Amino acid sequence: MKLHPMIAALRKHKAGVVLIALQIALTLAIVCNAIFIIGQRISRVNRPTGLDESNLFLVSQQWVGAPSADSADGVAKLDAMQKEDLVALRNLPSVASVAPINSLPLLNSSWIGSVSLKPDAKFSDKAGNARTAYYFTDEQAMSTLGVKLVAGRWFNAGDVQHQGFRDNPPHPVVIVTKAMADKLFPAGDAVGKAVYADGSSSPSTIVGVVARLQVPATGSWVNDFAWNATLIPTRLNSNGSRYAVRAKPGQLEAAMKAVAPTLYRVNPLRVLDDDSVKSFADIRAKAYRADVGMAILMGVICLVLLSVTAAGIVGLTSFWVGQRHRQIGVRRALGARKVDILHYFQLENLLIAGSGALIGIGLALALNLWLMRHYEMDRLPLPYTLIGVLAVLVLGQCAVFVPARRASNVPPVTATRAV
Amino acid sequence: MLKMTHLSKVYRTEVVETYALRDFNIDVKEGEFVAVTGPSGSGKTTFLTIAGLLETFTGGEYHLDGIEVSNLNDNARSKIRNEKIGFIFQAFNLIPDLNVFDNVEVPLRYRGMKAPERKQRIMDALERVGLASRYKHYPAELSGGQQQRVAIARALAGSPRLLLADEPTGNLDTQMARGVLELLEEIHRDGATIVMVTHDPELAARAQRNVHIIDGQVVDLSVDPRFHAAHHAASEAHG
Repeated sequence: MKLHPMIAALRKHKAGVVLIALQIALTLAIVCNAIFIIGQRISRVNRPTGLDESNLFLVSQQWVGAPSADSADGVAKLDAMQKEDLVALRNLPSVASVAPINSLPLLNSSWIGSVSLKPDAKFSDKAGNARTAYYFTDEQAMSTLGVKLVAGRWFNAGDVQHQGFRDNPPHPVVIVTKAMADKLFPAGDAVGKAVYADGSSSPSTIVGVVARLQVPATGSWVNDFAWNATLIPTRLNSNGSRYAVRAKPGQLEAAMKAVAPTLYRVNPLRVLDDDSVKSFADIRAKAYRADVGMAILMGVICLVLLSVTAAGIVGLTSFWVGQRHRQIGVRRALGARKVDILHYFQLENLLIAGSGALIGIGLALALNLWLMRHYEMDRLPLPYTLIGVLAVLVLGQCAVFVPARRASNVPPVTATRAV
Repeated sequence: MLKMTHLSKVYRTEVVETYALRDFNIDVKEGEFVAVTGPSGSGKTTFLTIAGLLETFTGGEYHLDGIEVSNLNDNARSKIRNEKIGFIFQAFNLIPDLNVFDNVEVPLRYRGMKAPERKQRIMDALERVGLASRYKHYPAELSGGQQQRVAIARALAGSPRLLLADEPTGNLDTQMARGVLELLEEIHRDGATIVMVTHDPELAARAQRNVHIIDGQVVDLSVDPRFHAAHHAASEAHG
């Protein structure tokens, strides 16, 4: 079909054509960026923590009237209380393993520091330094968390010590994540090497490397070191404690229900509320609630915009079909087949949607630049723009189909009827 | 060229059947210029729409250029309309959004003709109707007579076997009507088969042969009293 007469005809309906093309352009610009945001959020939400998340839950509790962790005596008593809890929890029939821990990935409660290859070093981003999140735990953490050891060994009971919450004793051995090991030791020989935590002068020897373990924080401020975790074989002592618990397969609910009565039997002077025992699935859901919400919001905005645009195309095409009813009859009388009329309206829509898409690509890039400047968004990759273009073109074709089909059913005899 | 035998066209509603054409017989030979006349509501336009394959018929047979058209599907009917028939409508039926050139090109485009041939045919047809210099004008920029000439050019460009004209001068003043009629006569002299529907006896008189329709049937003027009654009424109306 020749485009020139069609373009000439469209020029006679400038207002409608320009409005619908602009609507398509705006839709494309917003939809491209919204789909990009959705993609980013989904990829954030779906990134693995490094944990075996099924059957894992976290217990957070606080003792009432507990000794102060400011004195050595108090720290010793707190550690004894923590060990009593651990024994009780480990004895539960529905529990596979338990490890004391200060935090978990996605919990957004972090102990962030820095590790250097040199003693007494101030933090810098240069080679030989790395920001990290610390996990204080014990020898049962590997089986409890389900992390995968890829080099060296795991902690043994002899490695495990305890410390007051505000103390900073030497930590002779640590385990680090592969991401961190690669950053500090690009040659891949981290095991057996010494590192210095938080400007300490005491070395910590890396005894093992785990494949992956995400830091607790989920904000964009940890993007540069989201996989830099350091595991320290130490029970932290304070007036509260956290325990990571792995339930036996299929017994997560039973294990979670058994926790509170068990701990109360050990020591009733503590606070355990509804929020104290949380499955990791709940922790994940809470951590990414904003991301999921944003993705849904963007999805709804896309749907509304696409629907409004589709409605606009249907409305305008229907109007044009009505307006050109006789003209369509004349075309049919002159030999156009039904499919020719259908294709005419489809091609016309493709021209309008294509023009809108061209403008829309520019608008999408401009919107992306603005978002990059003001909201730290990444550059919009080309595939998202192409997907957006394809989406509006397909949308246009779908929207135009019904009125175009109605047009194709205008009988040729219409040409002979009085105006 | 055009042969209808015992053809009927019935419009049915839930309560009534109306015969627009009944036991309709006509045979137009190649190269003839036939005027179809009759009073309003007699079935002239129905005949024309069926002859032009714009509508289907209810019963009987219709052969167009040797092809029995009653069982053809919509696509085949479109192809015949496009290749064998040229239409000239009372209301010109030019597409207002297209210029003269593009209007004449419409049926040729549906034929899938190559651009150089299309252009040649369009310019030849416009030359013939005396409007080659106006090929860039839009219909609204032309007089009624010129618009009808463009419509004739559009009908001629495809070299149809049959020209069907529906009251071709009905929307024109006398002078313009005369011009259009002379053009039709010239086209006929060049060998075209023309069937023209008109209610105007003077116009019909210019044709080679007249066919009269009354109550959906072709009637023999010499014996059918209905013609005399209709003719008398028409004369009074004009007089």
